[in-house]
Amino acid sequence: MSDILKIEPIDNWLKKNNWTIYNHQIETLKLSENGYDVLLVAPTGGGKTLAGFLPSLNDLINNKPKKNKLHTLYISPLKALTIDVHRNLTSPIEDQGLDIRVETRTGDTSAYKKNRQKVLPPDMLMTTPESLALLLSNKESKDYFKNLRYLVIDEIHTLVNTKRGDLLSLNLSRINAISPVCNRIGLSATVKNKNAVLKFLTSKKKAKTLNVEESSVPKIDILETNNRVPWSGHMASYAIKDIYQKIKKSSLTIVFVNTRAQAELVFNKLWQENDNNLRIAIHHGSLEKEIRRKVESLMSLGKIDCVVATSSLDLGIDWGDVDLVVQIGSPKGISRFLQRIGRSNHRFDEPSNALLVPSNRFEYLECLSAINSIKNKLLDETKEKKGSLDVLAQHILGVACSGPFKVDELYNQVINAWPYRNLTKIKFLEVLEFVKNGGYSLRHYEQYSKIGVNKDKFYAIKNKSVRNRYRLNVGTIVESYMLKVKLGNRTLGQVEEWFIEGLNEGDTFLFSGRVLEYQSISNNNVIVKSTSHTQPKIPSYAGGRLPLSTELSIEVRKLLNKKQSWKNYPIQINEWLKLQSKFSNLPPLNGLLVETFPRLMRGKKRFFLICYTFEGRNANQTLGFLMSKKMQRIGYKPISFVATDYALAIWSINEVTEVNIILNDDLMLDDLYEWLEETPLLKKNFRDAAIISGLIERSIPGQKKTGKQVLFNSDLIFNVLKKHEPKHILLEVAREDSYRGLIDLDRLSEFFKRIEKNITHEKLDRISPLAVPLILEINRQTIDKSELEEYLLEELENEMLSEVGLN
Amino acid sequence: MKTIIFNKHKFQISNEGILFWFDKQIAIISDLHLEKGSSFAHSGQFLPPYDSEETLKKLSRGIKNQNIKKVILLGDTFHDENAFNRMSEKAFFLFNLLIKKYEVIFILGNHENKLKIDHINLLNQYVIDDIHFIHQALQKSIFQISGHFHPVATIKSSIKKITAKCLLHTNNHIILPSFGTYTGGLNINDPALKPFVNNKSNVYMLTKKSIYKFTIREVEI
Repeated sequence: MSDILKIEPIDNWLKKNNWTIYNHQIETLKLSENGYDVLLVAPTGGGKTLAGFLPSLNDLINNKPKKNKLHTLYISPLKALTIDVHRNLTSPIEDQGLDIRVETRTGDTSAYKKNRQKVLPPDMLMTTPESLALLLSNKESKDYFKNLRYLVIDEIHTLVNTKRGDLLSLNLSRINAISPVCNRIGLSATVKNKNAVLKFLTSKKKAKTLNVEESSVPKIDILETNNRVPWSGHMASYAIKDIYQKIKKSSLTIVFVNTRAQAELVFNKLWQENDNNLRIAIHHGSLEKEIRRKVESLMSLGKIDCVVATSSLDLGIDWGDVDLVVQIGSPKGISRFLQRIGRSNHRFDEPSNALLVPSNRFEYLECLSAINSIKNKLLDETKEKKGSLDVLAQHILGVACSGPFKVDELYNQVINAWPYRNLTKIKFLEVLEFVKNGGYSLRHYEQYSKIGVNKDKFYAIKNKSVRNRYRLNVGTIVESYMLKVKLGNRTLGQVEEWFIEGLNEGDTFLFSGRVLEYQSISNNNVIVKSTSHTQPKIPSYAGGRLPLSTELSIEVRKLLNKKQSWKNYPIQINEWLKLQSKFSNLPPLNGLLVETFPRLMRGKKRFFLICYTFEGRNANQTLGFLMSKKMQRIGYKPISFVATDYALAIWSINEVTEVNIILNDDLMLDDLYEWLEETPLLKKNFRDAAIISGLIERSIPGQKKTGKQVLFNSDLIFNVLKKHEPKHILLEVAREDSYRGLIDLDRLSEFFKRIEKNITHEKLDRISPLAVPLILEINRQTIDKSELEEYLLEELENEMLSEVGLN
Repeated sequence: MKTIIFNKHKFQISNEGILFWFDKQIAIISDLHLEKGSSFAHSGQFLPPYDSEETLKKLSRGIKNQNIKKVILLGDTFHDENAFNRMSEKAFFLFNLLIKKYEVIFILGNHENKLKIDHINLLNQYVIDDIHFIHQALQKSIFQISGHFHPVATIKSSIKKITAKCLLHTNNHIILPSFGTYTGGLNINDPALKPFVNNKSNVYMLTKKSIYKFTIREVEI
């Protein structure tokens, strides 16, 4: 392919292993040597990581900079990736006997090792955005990063337009102030908007994107089966036997699923099929770290035949020679799917091999669309997000912890970070006041200010305890409160508190690949025992479901309307669509199909209304909230609704007769603001913002609040703040996050334009074929919680009264 | 409002958590925890400091036009010994208005052991007829109206669990929910409340709009 790198030991090592150098590796090196910041966009495999480290290795080997100074910083969104990259880099270094020290630093690193790294910095340090923020909050951080020459950011595309990315971006800007000569290299998977990623990486003029095209087209099939693709569900039980046969024929298979619940179930079913004693393992984020590490190492040693995994195995880790990737359920996004496919044949010039297993009929259409999109090289788009103020608040405190700062200096540093480039000084000062003492201008609060100002106008933290508290609250990921699952003395992993709350003693559920019986909660542990039951009573806990990307759902709509191609689909899909058009109607390309029908639900007659919008989950959810609000007002007494990527189902106590009135856009958009203020989502986003910004603490030393208490308190604060300071920055953050995450307003207005006066209302006496999947969907969103509770309590009370003969 | 007959006396509970004894022109409220918000400031948590105003406003709204002369506060009116001094001008004004308009009886709560306010007398208990007003319920057979525990109850509906503040009524006990804006709750299935819960207990769950009465069998225990 190319000539040599002129980094002798690396050249020797490549030659020894019979590896060639790719052009983009040499180009990255050259650009960087000429002072460019480089964004390398390449598909999985292809020596992207090595390319990222070449400039640094070159400098360390050929220019021999000062020892015992931090020279290169590698940042990855995943802890596991830092460990993997560390291992991969150590190989040439040890092989060639190079005098280069490479170490990792994450939340898992021991205090001893962290201390040693402080005193004696390695040449290269591999870390995460959160650990970097912590490092930078040290008093000695200026000294520590003074000699930094290279910064490598892996999987950078996953960080752009996220709060984690905001935090990283602010810290990059800070590093730039400490060591302006540092060169940056960003590594990214193929994305639609490369320019946004480059801007995120660097504000330098000398910056370039290197784009490497995929050299081979992945081979993707949809599973052929003699069984019927089910109406609904997400578990793909029908396909287990066929999947097992494929696993048997491959040497190492990863079965990707979208949720942990799916992982548990698929794993369990595969073992029920496992007559050949294949070595099948499970890997997901709730399992104990040790269990996951064990699976990973077995994979790389080739001592395993199949792993059932969630996104915990998504990103660029090379766990061994995977020759088949099975995706159960729709991949929900094109980029994510490509990422997962890339796990197989993790080499640049060989095609990847993937099998799609739709778990229900809608997903069959979705899988077809995904394959079409990949053929046509369509990619998902991410909406741009401006830097969040809660993250900024956390950052300001972090800066103050590292040492005194001047306001203008910090402001200029902050707006140098791409997401914050448009932040006004006024807003910045508002956030600064918030960090100091809440910004309420109360004398009582002032005396406890976290940050003080000295006579030279330097801002600094008041005492050491502020730093200690900051360190406990770093990060932008707010997780649900987790409880440890204990089987005897063994910890199996963690589950969300809300899941356990729904269990009664004796209930059985799937976890860590086994059926467990719930006994009790003690000291924040969930005590379980083994059971002989093979069918768990509670299927498993949900969580982690991904929304369908806009691009994919458009493709699905088109497919549905191509009647002439139905005959190419499996017979039951064909039948399903035919039946629907006979029984009810098909969702038109333009316009909207609405169905209404009565149905018993938990023994009570309810009236269902279905809108087939195909506008994606978020827009459907918004529509659901708005329509429920309107139904409430008219007196239909809506109970709840289900929003999927394709449609929306609302059920109510009274029958909806006037569909047109409910779907009138003017009034509905007026409701939007008012409605948003009442949603549980806004409260949840407020809670996250309150935690990220430091208003509420994650945990206080020596005293752990339960997740529920935090939620309760933040709701109370939310209500008070809304009344007294409706424009508070945290309310602003919560609103922005809600609009971004849930509302999809643009899409909704487009939708209303499209359907105007073009609503087909089918009044049915029972559920339609197309509605079946929806009704079975468990994702239930509460409407106006308080209203709903009033109905339910009213009903319960009436029931009781009639029982005793009083009503 | 819902009526509770307690040792032949007629009481009424409002959905806000105010217990009325109209025959005596009395309103009974518990656990205001004034200035709970600002009590966190010393540890660097700057919660919005408007909770006292909110609580006092809600109180005065709740009792005006009800023909009330006397107000009994069942303790933990103030969140800590310095709470009174931290009150904002507005909260202070509302507080003064309250003690001017009504005869206010202050029961001493466990948060108030070191609290001293001029001209305000904190009583260990207050008795009218055969009813004892105290902060924390005692395991004695006398008729007691108390607070302290901030009781909440959970009920399982066909769709989901609902948790709300509640008034607990068992034999000779009425335990009031907490009234303060920032106060949390203790579920009635907690061991601490066990001595005051039996199969004759009734709970009155309070929501934004109404009050719902359940027997102990319907509630999650």
